[in-house]
Amino acid sequence: MRSMLIEIDGVRAQVAPGTTVLEAVRALGGDVPTLCFDERQDPFGACRVCMVGVAGAPGPVAACTTPCRDGMHVDTHDPTARRIAAATVELVLSELPEAPAAHTELAIVARTFDLDVSGDVRWPGEQHAGEHDERHPYLALHHELCISCGRCVRACDEVQGTFALTATGRGFGANIAAGLDEGFRASTCVSCGACADTCPTDAITEISLLAMTER
Amino acid sequence: MSRNLVEIIRQHHELGAPTALAVLKDAMEDHGEITDEDRRHAAQRSGLPEAAVHGVSTFYDDLLAPRGARHVRVCTGTACFAATADAHVTALQDALACALGERREDGSVSLAETVCLGFCHSSPAVRDGDVIDAGPGVVARVLEETTRCAPEPTPISILDVPALLAGSPDWTGLVRAVTTLQPEQLLEEVKAAEVRGRGGAGFPAGAKWEFARKAAGERKFIVANGDEGDPGSYIDKVLMERHPNLLIEGMALAGYAVGADHGFVLTRSEYPLSKPLLETAVAGARDAGVLGASVLGSDFAFDITIIEGAGSYVVGEETALLACLQGLRGTVSARPPFPAQRGLHGMPTVVNNVETLCNIPVVARMGADRYHALSPASPTSGSKLVCFNERFARPGVYEVRFGTGMRELCEDVAGGLVGGRTIKALQIGGPLGGILPGWKIDTPFDFDELAAEGCMVGHGGIVAFDETTDMRALATHLLHFGAAESCGKCFPCRIGLRRAHEMFSRDTPVDRPKLEALLETLELGSLCAHGGGMPAPIRSLLAHFPEELGLAA
Repeated sequence: MRSMLIEIDGVRAQVAPGTTVLEAVRALGGDVPTLCFDERQDPFGACRVCMVGVAGAPGPVAACTTPCRDGMHVDTHDPTARRIAAATVELVLSELPEAPAAHTELAIVARTFDLDVSGDVRWPGEQHAGEHDERHPYLALHHELCISCGRCVRACDEVQGTFALTATGRGFGANIAAGLDEGFRASTCVSCGACADTCPTDAITEISLLAMTER
Repeated sequence: MSRNLVEIIRQHHELGAPTALAVLKDAMEDHGEITDEDRRHAAQRSGLPEAAVHGVSTFYDDLLAPRGARHVRVCTGTACFAATADAHVTALQDALACALGERREDGSVSLAETVCLGFCHSSPAVRDGDVIDAGPGVVARVLEETTRCAPEPTPISILDVPALLAGSPDWTGLVRAVTTLQPEQLLEEVKAAEVRGRGGAGFPAGAKWEFARKAAGERKFIVANGDEGDPGSYIDKVLMERHPNLLIEGMALAGYAVGADHGFVLTRSEYPLSKPLLETAVAGARDAGVLGASVLGSDFAFDITIIEGAGSYVVGEETALLACLQGLRGTVSARPPFPAQRGLHGMPTVVNNVETLCNIPVVARMGADRYHALSPASPTSGSKLVCFNERFARPGVYEVRFGTGMRELCEDVAGGLVGGRTIKALQIGGPLGGILPGWKIDTPFDFDELAAEGCMVGHGGIVAFDETTDMRALATHLLHFGAAESCGKCFPCRIGLRRAHEMFSRDTPVDRPKLEALLETLELGSLCAHGGGMPAPIRSLLAHFPEELGLAA
């Protein structure tokens, strides 16, 4: 199939059929913030933070799951798209009982939207209850920091092929579990660390030897 | 949807393995709760990894609430809310000394919420074991243990010559198709008839079929979406349980046009009779040579399997429905890929609503031109089934023409409200439909006219609220449903509907600018029509009844 001509923020580019808007934006050196996206995994479309404007579309679209079309005009600074994405990140901050650590992807994305990770939110409400699973020697799971982005589950499925993790619950109660929720150790987990590597909030972290000696 | 899990499921399905969801449902029926032993067993039988089985077991309503020796499910649908303002729910909790979702310590009784039982014509409704009772006195009968099956109204056509409700079909449409039409010709006929989807979105059925027909795949499937989860709607229930042959004929026609050799119907567990009645009808159709290796003696093969869901509103969305059919968590997947490209078991799949498929035999029987003429005053072709809630004098399912005035439907067809009450507002087409205030009752029942009022045809359920309904309570009721049914995949819906519900359920004034910013985030940010559509009725209430919502000054 022939390549397609698209325009992103006024810059024209040729892309191959099947290229997503997010891939095209990044190939042109631009960026759109994301939370549930990991280039090692299939796009998921859950976080709605990569919203962009597309000329003629009824509303903003998620760049990660939208394929480029010939003649498409994309605006990564579209005010409506930015407003929706910022509000969504604000909603995510409102569900966490503590501010995300400054080095996490969530905190970095929040800063790009000028959101104060420990400030007031417009829609305060119930937060995730604290629940720490530290039964595994190297992997710690802090459920209250989970934002259900699905990256750990997909890393385990698509990258490692181990299927030790799952999404659990539904709606606001959604979270993750290893195996039958008996912790990583009792599951089929092979301790590869792909889940901790991709986690954007430190809900799953690797317990380092250094941290162990500090304890 | 995980491609790896779908492939595992496809391989096990070909070996005759049950889905994990089916095994878990059986365990729940057998001993009233799901244990880790059950999960391991389900993983072993289905081939799904244990973690994935655990995820499934924490998703569906039917698998969550532990069941007592006597399991009572109280309907909290919108028609039941319109009837009692939830007084029946409170009364049952108090009298049974059991909270929603709980089981008494002695294991004798459990109480759960269910939305909705499809007895909106005689609300409030309660399911006691497998008996669905409804109407005045139902709470007392539950307490006295004297529940009985509530009667259901017979559907009525108000067309001069009934089309959908023409009576028991003689397979005329299917006979005509397999003996005189090439599959492409049938597809052209359905496209010419401009059959719009009856499940809510109104997407042209012919276009969907064409995508699937042209898609590459070693097999193709037809899926009937019988997950009529819209509270206040019992149209597909009536079609599946009273006119199952019409659905079977429609699915076979779809299979013929698309090149599919198998169909699946996903029924709701809230309608316990749908699956057995459809299975009986399918067996009858096989015996009559309508289904099987040679449909009506032709070289076209088609058969149908019935699968029951496990309690989830969002499973009515087509990608979530396919996940449920395969025994996975019923969460929504981003499209593309569309089911017509990559659906059940990764194969091209047509997902049509039950009523949409029931329209196909009518098209095949009478042809596109006569089908168009069924609604002469409307640009929309065909007829529509609508249903009314218990507030009306003659609630039931009716076949009507598109373009009929809402006033004519409410007053002439359904007889106005009982006891001379007045219509304060109508919710049409389900929980994602806007709310039409009583003073706009002269709006025609049609896609564009209702859309202009922020409303929709949707599924065709018409729920009237009389002057006793408190609009803030209605907003809270709707948002409780929205938040409880969010699949939890996309962030705006997962968190935003919870926040919207919290804003209304607190005893404090609602900040309108904050609410509107939240509604916009849901509308424009959500992945599917659940989060995108739940703001519609709230927008209507803000537009028409702001003084009742307790907004901050």
